[in-house]
Amino acid sequence: MRLKVFRFDRETGESRYDTFEIEPSAGMTVLSALFKIQEELDDSLAFRYSCRGAVCGSCAMLINKIPGLACRVRIESLLKGEGKIKLRPFPGTEETVSWDPENEVLVEPLPSLPRVKDLIVDMDKFFEFYRAVEPTFKPASKPPEKEQLMQPDAVKQLEKYTNCVLCAACVSACPVSGKVKDFLGPAALAKLYRFHIDPREPDDKSRLMLANSKSGWWGCEFHANCRAVCPKGVPPIEGIGKARRELKKSGKAPEQKF
Amino acid sequence: MGGEGNEAGYPVHSHDVVIIGAGLTGLRAAIEIVDQGLDTAVISKVHPLRSHSVAAQGGINAALGNAVAEDSWEAHAFDTVRGSDYLADQDAVEILCKHAPAAVIELEHFGTVFSRFPDGRIAQRPFGGGMFPRTCYAADRTGHNILHSLYEQLMGRGRGENRQVGKLSFYEEFFITSLVKLGDAPFEKGSGKEERCVGCTALNIADGSLHGFTCHSLLLATGGFGRLFDRSTNSLINTGDGASLALRVGVPLEDMEFVQFHPTTLYGTNILITEGARGEGGYLLNNKNERFMEKYAPASMELAPRDIVARAIQQEIEEGRGFEGGYVLLDLRHLKEERIAERLPGIRLICLDFAGIDPVEAPIPVQPGQHYSMGGISAGNSLATELRGLYAAGECACVSVHGANRLGGNSLLEAVVFGKLAGQEIGKSFRGSGWDRKGAEKAVLQNLHEEDARIKTLLARKSGVKMPGLRDELKKTMFEYFGVFREGKKMEKGLEKLLELKSSFPEVYINNRSGSFNYALIYTLELGGLFDIAEAVARGAIARQESRGSHSRVDYPHRDDKNFLFHTLYRLKDGKPVLEPLPVRAGRFPVKERVY
Repeated sequence: MRLKVFRFDRETGESRYDTFEIEPSAGMTVLSALFKIQEELDDSLAFRYSCRGAVCGSCAMLINKIPGLACRVRIESLLKGEGKIKLRPFPGTEETVSWDPENEVLVEPLPSLPRVKDLIVDMDKFFEFYRAVEPTFKPASKPPEKEQLMQPDAVKQLEKYTNCVLCAACVSACPVSGKVKDFLGPAALAKLYRFHIDPREPDDKSRLMLANSKSGWWGCEFHANCRAVCPKGVPPIEGIGKARRELKKSGKAPEQKF
Repeated sequence: MGGEGNEAGYPVHSHDVVIIGAGLTGLRAAIEIVDQGLDTAVISKVHPLRSHSVAAQGGINAALGNAVAEDSWEAHAFDTVRGSDYLADQDAVEILCKHAPAAVIELEHFGTVFSRFPDGRIAQRPFGGGMFPRTCYAADRTGHNILHSLYEQLMGRGRGENRQVGKLSFYEEFFITSLVKLGDAPFEKGSGKEERCVGCTALNIADGSLHGFTCHSLLLATGGFGRLFDRSTNSLINTGDGASLALRVGVPLEDMEFVQFHPTTLYGTNILITEGARGEGGYLLNNKNERFMEKYAPASMELAPRDIVARAIQQEIEEGRGFEGGYVLLDLRHLKEERIAERLPGIRLICLDFAGIDPVEAPIPVQPGQHYSMGGISAGNSLATELRGLYAAGECACVSVHGANRLGGNSLLEAVVFGKLAGQEIGKSFRGSGWDRKGAEKAVLQNLHEEDARIKTLLARKSGVKMPGLRDELKKTMFEYFGVFREGKKMEKGLEKLLELKSSFPEVYINNRSGSFNYALIYTLELGGLFDIAEAVARGAIARQESRGSHSRVDYPHRDDKNFLFHTLYRLKDGKPVLEPLPVRAGRFPVKERVY
């Protein structure tokens, strides 16, 4: 089989696609295929990696036009046409390059994030949005001697959002993030929602108010690509919808129609 | 980046404290240090949230008594000492276990979401080698939840709300190439200044530029060296960089022969299948469908400590009772879908993603794989190393709280407890002594010139030995000759092979000349360090003619307290390896036979 890989150099601004012929072993993932290329064919190929077990969020990239973790996607299932999901159009999906999906895997950097080198993108803006939602649990004034009690059901609700690994797959698949530069995006909004519903914090809507604008909750157009591509099953769209309903109900939603 | 330039053009950054590594230990230390108002830099070769701590699954031990009220820190300490096969230093274990409940409560206070009992208290599950269910957990994503909360806390401090915190700078994707010393070694008399660590040099992976860092104190929190072995649960970044950096400035490593092989890693990729899977009731089965643990640990069965279960599995495989390819089965089916989905959702996802198996319907193929490094940079209870100004904590250090075998759930605990303590000790030391900033910068510049030359030489080499092949050979050699079972003659052969491979390292070459994200260069620098560590592991293992904890010798099958109840110190003197014994600090628990 072949891997068709996007190559890019920020210094020269030049880009191209390189095609590598490799022998896939049983269970080989896209990440292990990239390592094989680095080891045997071209050691200049650049991509991020760490855990290789779908928990650290380093290796998100666009694989056959779907954003995902390279360590989690198996070559054989791609060639068999498995794992296809229907997504609304977003910047990475234009037909800029052809590939033969039965014999090739197309690997490109995450769209909507600045390209740096080959499959590596600049995550600065992504983490800027993350910091903008003030993702810090507000401790009680004095450290308690015992844990604060929490019902198992509340944990279940929270886990849906704390499972996020900040890989940026959702942001790169989001049609709004692709066109609106100051939209906080699904990952940051999911993080914000996680703090809002934490029962250990005061229930005063202050978290919700942080993104009570078009660049926050109200920018979402409910394309649902975020939930579809998330490798950890996090549903930013659900949190955003609930946040909007809650703001409307409490009369705090902005008057202006977006 | 805002570093000061100098005539040679290298940026040099000055901070009160430099922390290398941004996993649980590094981030917990950072919180403690900025809270004391010190200017702190955290340097990591990956983004902090990509650190290996994020992969920890099963939990963190603390005698909260939520599951069984009579649990106590003393019981936790006893389990830890017994689990260590009596090689742990008991005063250090006492610190670990006494601080554990407060450490977990503090994490909860930082916002970590833990799994809960129906009454709302933090849930606790049984883990191997524990008298009581003592392991607090967040489903099977405990490391992820804690690492994210600590990072989130640091983001809050970065915003400077409500408190007088020190400045905090992150240097992400910076690879440390050397530690910098200033002053005279203890045995020399020259300037009269006592030798200390005053900084480090680092390669900015993004653009290939070399940077210098000066500081009053430097904390190594670089994690383990699992990737020295062919089969490892560790992240690919776990190459033990801190241990080789310390060794190269003359600081000794301790107990490097004690390498933990986790009993249950997924066959094929060696991704960890948490001990929690057995804690929740999973069975281990051989090809005769027998729960073979009843032969090896009739009382504890699947929940015996890791060393014992790993050896049992390996023995079943070697004696032909495993499956084709070398594995046994971990059966969770009787736990039923609801419990698996609630308690082990990550494990289910791993099995589906990486083996195409749903543990609700089929048993999981597992085999032992390297998991943890009990040994590391020799550090005292204050986390100080032999070199003033240099501290080490977490998996990269050997305090020693794990001795010859670590209990599951004690490593996240070590990271947060000793990360915090390191931060406190560093703060105390900072307030107690000044430092020679000018002298430090001069010393850093000297290192920068040397490191620049070393990297240029490496990049200029156009032929010789190919890097990936050499690295693979090393990893295979270590797993084959220094794996679960060890034997004197075989290890001698292994060492010979290892030294031969090491001797070809100066001829290693890569094709990539790029300055930007040159990972071939990073792998090569890591490989140089791995050779240092490999030799320490090998020489320690050969010299220890007994079986203790994870170190299991078929030619010396018993523990020998008369001759080997000591730690192994390994250092380089004039570039030559030297082994020395270091006494074990005994305590309230007398040395006994270990029966499970």
